[in-house]
Amino acid sequence: MKKILFLSVLVTMGLLSATPALSQDWISLKESFRNIRSVKAEFVQKRYLKILTKPLLSEGKLFLYIPDSLRWEYLNPLRSVMLQKGNTIQIYNFSEGVWKPEMAQAVEARRMVLAEISQWFQGRFDESKAFKHLYSPGPPARVTMVPGEGINRFILRIEIVLSAKPGVIDRVEIEEPEGSRTSIEFRNVEINSSFSSEVFEKP
Amino acid sequence: MIRRKGLNICLLGFLILSAGCAPISETTLRPGSPNDLPGCYAIFPVGPWESVHRIEATFRGNSSSLLGVTTGEPSERRLQSLLLTPEGFILFDAELSEGGIAVRKAVAPFDSPAFARGLMEDVSLLFLPPQVKPTAWAKETDGTMICNWEDRDDSHTEITGSMDGGWRILRQNKKGKVIKKIILNGPFVNGLASRIELRAFKPAPYRLRMILVQPSP
Repeated sequence: MKKILFLSVLVTMGLLSATPALSQDWISLKESFRNIRSVKAEFVQKRYLKILTKPLLSEGKLFLYIPDSLRWEYLNPLRSVMLQKGNTIQIYNFSEGVWKPEMAQAVEARRMVLAEISQWFQGRFDESKAFKHLYSPGPPARVTMVPGEGINRFILRIEIVLSAKPGVIDRVEIEEPEGSRTSIEFRNVEINSSFSSEVFEKP
Repeated sequence: MIRRKGLNICLLGFLILSAGCAPISETTLRPGSPNDLPGCYAIFPVGPWESVHRIEATFRGNSSSLLGVTTGEPSERRLQSLLLTPEGFILFDAELSEGGIAVRKAVAPFDSPAFARGLMEDVSLLFLPPQVKPTAWAKETDGTMICNWEDRDDSHTEITGSMDGGWRILRQNKKGKVIKKIILNGPFVNGLASRIELRAFKPAPYRLRMILVQPSP
């Protein structure tokens, strides 16, 4: 009985000591994103599909103005851009030498992805309506986003790997059912650099 | 005399019209040399293969850019095709095999059975040779191949071209109307054309421009 009581005390003490430490890391993490006003970055996306032996590679650029302006642009192999300014989302494809507005394809899914990306770069992982978050202090620190009912048919989980540099995301891993996954690596990340707001309006 | 001249003109006109109506290939081609026959299959990949294409689709004045992922197992006449948005969302996923078409995923506006059938027909026309032997073929002196297939339903497929000059696939319905025209241009990478343009005329016209971005054996 004494042994069980001793073990219980140990476990309780362990839990008590772990919780504040985790909270402190979480608070620091949130703090590191607090002063971010803009993000500019390049990215390399690797799409792993079960039917392909090699991943499908895409390259692009990201521009973000806090709180709700985002440009997510692919340069290769398809030139395409998603523009978000407030609640307005526009999608364009570069075809036959000109930018053409996109037909409505998976627009809701794309809108949701843009909203999620925008939140991640602001450190607002806990504000997602579609995902619950789990924080692991690392290193490297990472936030795992677990989807709710419905979305879990398409996405099993999203892992956001954070850089040692405050407020910077190194990599996002999206895991799907049946073995497909997507990895997005961010490079040349510039925090709070200035750029024209036109990047969110025109392709 | 005038009457006879008139008759001759009528005869000439009739002959010209008759020649114009007859498909040239049927009148000039016969089963050719067995040595030339493999040339009719030059544009079709042989072993298991996979590809990624950048696709620009134009339909009713609207255009759309997508990524197309296709894998093939020619010995089993099996093809799997995926359409993806630039972000990698799978909009359409279907497999064609001897058993028919199995659609795994289809998101609007790609979720109709007619779309699945049409797309897999196009992919099949591009990457699988007709199941029957050509009815006629010839190799011209410059190396250009001309091959004709007649299907059981009296529809017709004609493939002409060469690896240097590019290829053309014409698909005609049983009334002899061209329903699809495909131009394939090199360089050919692992048996796959670098640039493809497909024009469908019937029942609904559309155009696909495909650029090979990632071939793999």
